[in-house]
Amino acid sequence: MQFVQNFPFITIILSLFSGPLSSILDGKKAKKINLAVITVIALMSCAVLGFVIRSGAPYVYMMGHFPAPWGNEIRVGVLEASMAVIFCIIMLLCMLGGVYEREEELEETKQNLYYVMVNLLLCSLLALIYTNDLFTAYVFVEINTISACGLIMIRQNGRTLEAATRYMIMSLLGSGLLLLGICFLYDLTGHLLMSNIQEQVAILHQTGMYNIPLLVSLGLMSVGLAIKSALFPFHSWLPDAYGYSTLSSAAILSSLVSKGYIFLLAKIFYRVVGFDMVRDSKVVNVLFVFGIAGMIMGSVSAIQENNIRRMIAYSSVAQIGYIYMGFGLGTTAGVIASIYHIVSHAATKSLLFVAASGITDASGDSTRFQDLTGAGYRNKLAGVAFTVGSLSMVGIPMFSGFISKLLFAQAGMESSHKLLLTLIALAISTILNALYFMKTVIRIYTPVSRAAIRKKGFRNITMKENKQKSAALVCFIILNLILGLCSEPIIALFRSGLEMFS
Amino acid sequence: MNAGIMVAVILLPIIFGAPIPLLPFKTRKQMAVYVESIVLITSILAWMMLFSQPEGSFILFRFTGNLSVSFRLDGLGTVFAGIVSVLWPLATLYSFEYMKHEGHEKYFFMFYVITYGVTLGIALAEDILTMYFFYEMLGLVTLPLIMHTLTREAILASRTYLYYSLGGAAFAFIGMIFILTYGTTSVFTPGGVIDLARLGDKKDFLLVIYVFCFCGFSVKAAMFPFSSWLPKAGVAPTPVTALLHAVAVVKAGAFTVMRVTYYSFGTELLRGSWAQTVVLGLTVFTIVYGCSRALKETHLKRRLAWSTVSNLSYILFGVALMTPLGFVGAMSHMIFHAVMKICSFFCAGAVIYKSGRNYIHELRGFGRRMPKVFVIFTISGMALMGVPGLCGFISKWNLAKAAVQSENPLAYVGIAALLVSAILTALYMLTISVRAFFPGRDFDYGTISDVEDPNWMMMLPLVIFVIAMFVFGLHSEPIVAALESIASIMN
Amino acid sequence: MNGWILLPVILPVLSGIFLLLTSFREHLGKTGSGSGLSAVGNGMDEPERHRLHLLTCTVLVISAILAVTAAFSGEKSVTLFYLMKDIPIYFHIDGISRIFVTFTSLVWVAVGIYAFVYMKHEGEEKRFFGFYLLVYGVLVALDFAGNLVTLYFFYELMTLTSAPMVLHNGSREAIMAALKYLFYSLCGAYMGLFGMFFLYRYCDTLTFMPGGTLNPALAQDHRTILLIAVFAMLVGFGAKAGMLPLHAWLPAAHPVAPSPASAVFSGIVVKGGVLAALRTVYYVVGPDFIRGTWVQTTWMVLALITVFMGSMLAYREPVFKKRLAYSTVSQISYILFGLSLLTPTGMTGALLHTVFHAIIKSTLFLTAGVFIFECGKTRVEELHGIGKRMPKTLWCYTFASLALVGIPPASGFVSKWYLAQGALGADVGVFGWLGPAVLLISALLTAGYLLPVTMKGFFPGKEAGDAEVHSGTEAVKEPSAKMLVPLAVLAALSVILGILPNPLINYISQLVSGLM
Repeated sequence: MQFVQNFPFITIILSLFSGPLSSILDGKKAKKINLAVITVIALMSCAVLGFVIRSGAPYVYMMGHFPAPWGNEIRVGVLEASMAVIFCIIMLLCMLGGVYEREEELEETKQNLYYVMVNLLLCSLLALIYTNDLFTAYVFVEINTISACGLIMIRQNGRTLEAATRYMIMSLLGSGLLLLGICFLYDLTGHLLMSNIQEQVAILHQTGMYNIPLLVSLGLMSVGLAIKSALFPFHSWLPDAYGYSTLSSAAILSSLVSKGYIFLLAKIFYRVVGFDMVRDSKVVNVLFVFGIAGMIMGSVSAIQENNIRRMIAYSSVAQIGYIYMGFGLGTTAGVIASIYHIVSHAATKSLLFVAASGITDASGDSTRFQDLTGAGYRNKLAGVAFTVGSLSMVGIPMFSGFISKLLFAQAGMESSHKLLLTLIALAISTILNALYFMKTVIRIYTPVSRAAIRKKGFRNITMKENKQKSAALVCFIILNLILGLCSEPIIALFRSGLEMFS
Repeated sequence: MNAGIMVAVILLPIIFGAPIPLLPFKTRKQMAVYVESIVLITSILAWMMLFSQPEGSFILFRFTGNLSVSFRLDGLGTVFAGIVSVLWPLATLYSFEYMKHEGHEKYFFMFYVITYGVTLGIALAEDILTMYFFYEMLGLVTLPLIMHTLTREAILASRTYLYYSLGGAAFAFIGMIFILTYGTTSVFTPGGVIDLARLGDKKDFLLVIYVFCFCGFSVKAAMFPFSSWLPKAGVAPTPVTALLHAVAVVKAGAFTVMRVTYYSFGTELLRGSWAQTVVLGLTVFTIVYGCSRALKETHLKRRLAWSTVSNLSYILFGVALMTPLGFVGAMSHMIFHAVMKICSFFCAGAVIYKSGRNYIHELRGFGRRMPKVFVIFTISGMALMGVPGLCGFISKWNLAKAAVQSENPLAYVGIAALLVSAILTALYMLTISVRAFFPGRDFDYGTISDVEDPNWMMMLPLVIFVIAMFVFGLHSEPIVAALESIASIMN
Repeated sequence: MNGWILLPVILPVLSGIFLLLTSFREHLGKTGSGSGLSAVGNGMDEPERHRLHLLTCTVLVISAILAVTAAFSGEKSVTLFYLMKDIPIYFHIDGISRIFVTFTSLVWVAVGIYAFVYMKHEGEEKRFFGFYLLVYGVLVALDFAGNLVTLYFFYELMTLTSAPMVLHNGSREAIMAALKYLFYSLCGAYMGLFGMFFLYRYCDTLTFMPGGTLNPALAQDHRTILLIAVFAMLVGFGAKAGMLPLHAWLPAAHPVAPSPASAVFSGIVVKGGVLAALRTVYYVVGPDFIRGTWVQTTWMVLALITVFMGSMLAYREPVFKKRLAYSTVSQISYILFGLSLLTPTGMTGALLHTVFHAIIKSTLFLTAGVFIFECGKTRVEELHGIGKRMPKTLWCYTFASLALVGIPPASGFVSKWYLAQGALGADVGVFGWLGPAVLLISALLTAGYLLPVTMKGFFPGKEAGDAEVHSGTEAVKEPSAKMLVPLAVLAALSVILGILPNPLINYISQLVSGLM
């Protein structure tokens, strides 16, 4: 037992306790602590990742050294560790990018509460990633939901309240279904630890007993998590929640929160039920169909949108569709593609949110398209960043989106009857993405006369004006290029992680 | 000469072109010298490369797994790189004069020079992924060139262009994935790389994908029903319309189609299939469609653009015949059309530059005021028609020869389409010349007394193109023989 | 070295280009000075005009002499260069070239001399003569062409260089007519090209060989497409020859072109179509291939319909030059009918008619030109009583008309005799008697539309005489010798060749018997 093996546990605890700590501090200090905590956790996760890669095998960490089934377990593999690293990095960048907005939009007295929520959110995400216990997972799902709700609500204007309520209702519905599914499983297998459940399910699957209850349980858990991660057609809460909350909330929600649930679903597929069983049940096909529908419908809604934030939010619906399509392919390659897309989308979507806020800053805080004309010249860095994000979304080589598109298509090639549908859906979705993202890019580079700018009171924003945001944007761009150009080691990492998974 | 020179010619214009807006040029002339020297050095390097034919391939970097961006020079690449590297310096020379009245020159030349590198990248791509990579890049770096004037029309045109080209790439992507999955290798190999054992009984599937891929890549080559972006893109400054929308971009589309047809999917699997019928039918239709639209068009540059639509489908028609001879015809038209169309566009550009007139009915009597330009315009029009003695006839002959030899009834229809298109070409090109030289008895030359022939920077490329048209037209044998040797390794 | 036989091509082409360049340069000078005046200058002074005439005349005569000498100096061939790998630009002089070159040169020189005077009132003389020389060079090359591609090359060039002669006066109608001419001709040329592509594939060579070069082994399985190809070529080349359905350019182009241009168009340029069809059928495809097929039948039907329709339209046409143009439509189809019979006699008749018609129709157009030049009359009914003022001109017209109608002993009779003989002797079923019948009816119609001009011209009747007094044509008199002499020479030839046809007939039948 090396000391580094304790790190996962320490990271969870650290973020959990930094939350209450923040509640008694003032906003400034809470912010500093929050940033420090995220950085420390990122570094620790890196260490864990390094350790797991070196050891080449996952390890199980028993909390308080109680063996299962009484104790609670953490299981750390390459995939979990790398997810933790990436989530931390992206969260850090999101928090950096949104500093200015938070100070603007949140009440002075509630600043520190925001950091409570963020810390709790991080805690729950880490727990979701690492836990080896289904019920613990459920608990942290709920914590996650509540803190996410807080993140939406804390910017108090009418729409966020409504959005938060909606989010709450949908999310709780999802959690309820998840809980039901877990109950079914517990009933069938008598276990809550994932590895134990898997053994039992394998036996059940072989004997053919309780096939239908198993299927129902699987379906309930899938649907529950699908609702929470806004798979089409359960996405109605999403645009408002992402569109009107404060910047860092929107970025974190879109890139991390929904991804946490999806990661949990992957975990359930691989570690709880067993992927062969999942493939044999027709749940994957359902996910596949809804994934593709989401890809198309999300983009279609985005095209009709006249508000840049909401447009990006709808685009998330489409991207979530991609991920579910990858699961739906029912192959390991498909899942790897999905996981890569989780990362790539997290990086890109938060980039887009931050860049969009830079653009709207230069347009008098208006999010309407008419006012964005020429904003790329007024805020050069945000313009470039938005362009990079858009190109990545459209899947231009060199950017991360291309790699995930490539992986999806290659995965699609392996399955014979879903092949054509996958490819055509990818092509159409690419075109639709191009339609709204490139339209926006061209708009922000369409010049307007000086007089018009002066009349509307728009101002130029330089890189130095908002240093944190600029730094975040630059880092996001670099991250995107790294994901686009040096994807090979990352994919290899995911592949080996997935092998350790089951 | 080692393979590194290929990377040099691709990266040199990109690296030295990108900082143009940042460089502190004191005068316009300094910038012109800088730009022209980059372009010339690149071209000289490219010619050295083409003559020395470096062996082996060069891997720039790896994407994922065995997918890499790598370069290798082969016969077809030589042809395309040759066209591009000869035309680019000439067009640059022309644009110094032309761009005087357009403004934003630094940005213009930045993208103009970068595009050069990207186009060479397509020509030298070793495998389908590299080609796709540069194909997407090409769509993006040429976008600012279309937007250049920043008028509402230009913005709309660039938007259309972007949608079409990204959409095309999305379908081309499908083909690429197919090759990556079912090919023995993704490197371009004459005769195709499809692994028959792995393909098994999925032949129909291959055909569907091929049709997607063909259509996807031919979006850039403006095949019907994906042609409407090209005439709209005519709002770009003339050097762009001339070089990019008559040569580099659209020929890149045709080039990529050649690559996937002859070097990836392989003609043996496709010949005689319904997929061939579909693509052949589309190209044949486009040949006539483009010409008829050109005839209807009254805007000079848009008319030429529609003519390009039709002529590009000549090339695609040759490709779709799927025989070595068809390949020869396609390549010869690729070369010759480049010369003819860039020449006629430059004439149109000279007219616009000197007189600011855009519509054909405004050109009455110009033959007297701009005699050199209009004589050259008439010659290029005749070349496009396929008057023997000029280069257009040679490629038309080669295409028709291939069509006859393919013994495909649809190809016979294609020959008829070629000839109908020739007649229509005569109508839409010669009416301009006739109007310019014979304005009618009552015409008052006083109304155009300010119009004159442009200076040597604009005339030099024109004269070179005319000489080329005659030389190719009268002595095509060496070129065609070279093309035949390229095609002969097919089957 | 046989290269010198191309001198008659190069010399007129170069001097034509020289004239065009100088004319163009003058225009530039004129518009450059910003005068803003109409560009059609009559400003050429007499010495300059004289120099122009001298130059043109010398070049024409020298080239004509060279051309005829070249033609009669035996079977010579020259390969100029290779256009494509196996396709040379190749010239070869044979019997057919000889006949075509001879009458072309003859008519071209005669009409050229006539044009010196005539073109004074049209203006832009330098340009006109520039093109005139250019077209001559191209025509000689066309006649000398030794393979199908060379023929096509000069066929296209002929179209392009002759079009400016139609739009000479620059009026809107002229431009429209020229474009129509271009369109129809190119349409035809491209149909020809369509066929050529197939012949290139299925023939051993595109070089002209008596009896054809079709490769029977290759062609075996592709008869249908080959027949379609040949048919396309016939219809296509028929466009130039004014055959249905692509005949409509002729009546549009002739009235607006200057009369010398109309004369050579009708007499010579349309024969380019005949030559191309003849070369295709007899020298490349081989008459045996299409004998008895639907191609032959359709070709015959089209030719016969054109013969009849042309005559009918001419009969109803009041504009004189247009009437003559319709007459050309009809007469050229006599020739095509003769060719379509695919028998030696029919072909003899066709060749004879080619020669005769060239001479006769030029004469007729030249007289029409005289009427326009001297008194500006373009419509038939205006010509009443003209014979009193210009008896010599009208006599020339009359002789030529009689020849065209085919009244013995004038030349048209001889050719029509052979044509009818050929039809009756050929194994073509119903056309054996239908053909001659149509020819006969058309001859009657020809008489009906040509001879009234003579009759009314000499015998205007009472009331017409009064009208003439009012219209003030008393001042009109015979044209100058430069116009009249060529006219008379051509008119005389049209009769003399009918009286003494034997050398020509012998020569042609020898040629034809060698062919089939």
